[in-house]
Amino acid sequence: MTFVDFLNLLISALLLAGTYAAMAIGMTVIYGVMKIVNLAHAGFLMLGAYFVYELHERAGLHPLLGVLLAFPAFYVVGVLVHWALGRGVPVSDKPTLASLLLMFGLWLVLQNIGYLVWGTDDRAILTPMTFATIRFGEITIPKIGLVVFASAVISLAALEFVLHRTWFGRSIRALIQNRYSCRIVGIPVERTARRTFGLGIAFAGAAGGLLALLYPFSPDFGRPFLLRSFVIIVLGGLESFSGVFVGSLILALVETFSIFIVPSSYQPAISFSLLVVALIVLPGGVAGFAARMRSRRAE
Amino acid sequence: MVWGISLAVEAGSVACLIGPNGAGKSTTLNAVIGALPVKGGQILLQGSDVTREKAHRRVRRRIALIPEGRQLWQRMTVEENLLLGAFPKNLRRSAASFLERVYTMFPRLKERRHQAAGTLSGGEQQMCAVGRGLMADPLLLMLDEPSLGLAPRIVDEIFDLVRTIAQQGVTILLAAQNANYALSVSRYGYVMESGRIALEGPSERLRADDHVRQAYLGA
Repeated sequence: MTFVDFLNLLISALLLAGTYAAMAIGMTVIYGVMKIVNLAHAGFLMLGAYFVYELHERAGLHPLLGVLLAFPAFYVVGVLVHWALGRGVPVSDKPTLASLLLMFGLWLVLQNIGYLVWGTDDRAILTPMTFATIRFGEITIPKIGLVVFASAVISLAALEFVLHRTWFGRSIRALIQNRYSCRIVGIPVERTARRTFGLGIAFAGAAGGLLALLYPFSPDFGRPFLLRSFVIIVLGGLESFSGVFVGSLILALVETFSIFIVPSSYQPAISFSLLVVALIVLPGGVAGFAARMRSRRAE
Repeated sequence: MVWGISLAVEAGSVACLIGPNGAGKSTTLNAVIGALPVKGGQILLQGSDVTREKAHRRVRRRIALIPEGRQLWQRMTVEENLLLGAFPKNLRRSAASFLERVYTMFPRLKERRHQAAGTLSGGEQQMCAVGRGLMADPLLLMLDEPSLGLAPRIVDEIFDLVRTIAQQGVTILLAAQNANYALSVSRYGYVMESGRIALEGPSERLRADDHVRQAYLGA
């Protein structure tokens, strides 16, 4: 591997990491506040892809505009889903089997609706950007990768702003840390949970749209990304936002550079192995590790 | 579980709930703020029935609970912890001025306002919890075991603080195992034993009561 090859791979890994972070953050938010492992995340990623695709094909809307519209559209979908199904889920401080199975069932339903509407064929969103590249000397960057990365970063920055500067965002973070205290200061816990679910689904839909700009998709689109999201949030420590960024970076780097060691058809095995390693070595994720180091230093 | 208890706190005064661990003191306070359900009976705040109101609506009536064990958001900053104390919409507009008031009262918290609450010492965390309660600009302030796990010097400070807050006209309901302190700052007291009120009366009279002296004051 020459140095230029290395740089090219490093850049594509970084671009991928940004997109992965946008993909996984919705799952973290929902897990953190409600302790629901949202397996239906895959279904919403898929629906997001078709949402952007349909707007592009039928209405001629620019895919990035479609991604932007996916936020409010999927927010509403998320709130409705939580209203319809979430009431049946016991409010819990620990993940429950009931919510896991419910979300798994929802995924199957969404996936089959996908097959019903769009069939089994692969689709792709093609724009003039798709095959364009930007060159800096010997370094080549795919234009679409850069655009998707930028969109992911902007949406994550917006989320960061909401989480730290608004009452809604602060109440989300407070709910992740201590539900009881939220009740006694007058945060409407159920309503906040519902809106958080909407927020998580909004990010799933928009991230699905972004991923659809990079890869062809079918109604089974979400599956490999669900596994990746899962690896990322476990690596990150399940409910830590900064953990998601670190987890995304680790996964993207490992996936990208592993092509030297294992054939690319084994890629799913990479994320799975990483999950197993993370569970054994870093059960609390990066965030848990950081907390342990801090407390050790304090002693 | 708490059975058929009846207690009243006169506006602008300090009342205390004393009794052993597990007597139902915390349960009572949590039921008043709406964090625990009430199966029967009534909760009246300034004469209006709030028994069926959810916690987030009750808090708008300016009641605050400083819970046992402080229950801060450990990974949020001191300032964020305080601000969330003024979460109800009717309080948010005044949050900035309440915050200044809390900082005047606790300069220590102002120094540490950008630190994560989990990094404070026990006494500072208790100050932060009291500050968060005061951010609701409460008419009724409930304190649950505010002295638990703190050094004696800090305990003195905390009870001085309770007196100061009471002098500003805030109604206070204080639950504590430390009967000596609780009875010295309060005007009226209730003794809870296994979910019932065993005894009540003006605090001075309770201090002189044989049962209270033997069981709680170690005399």
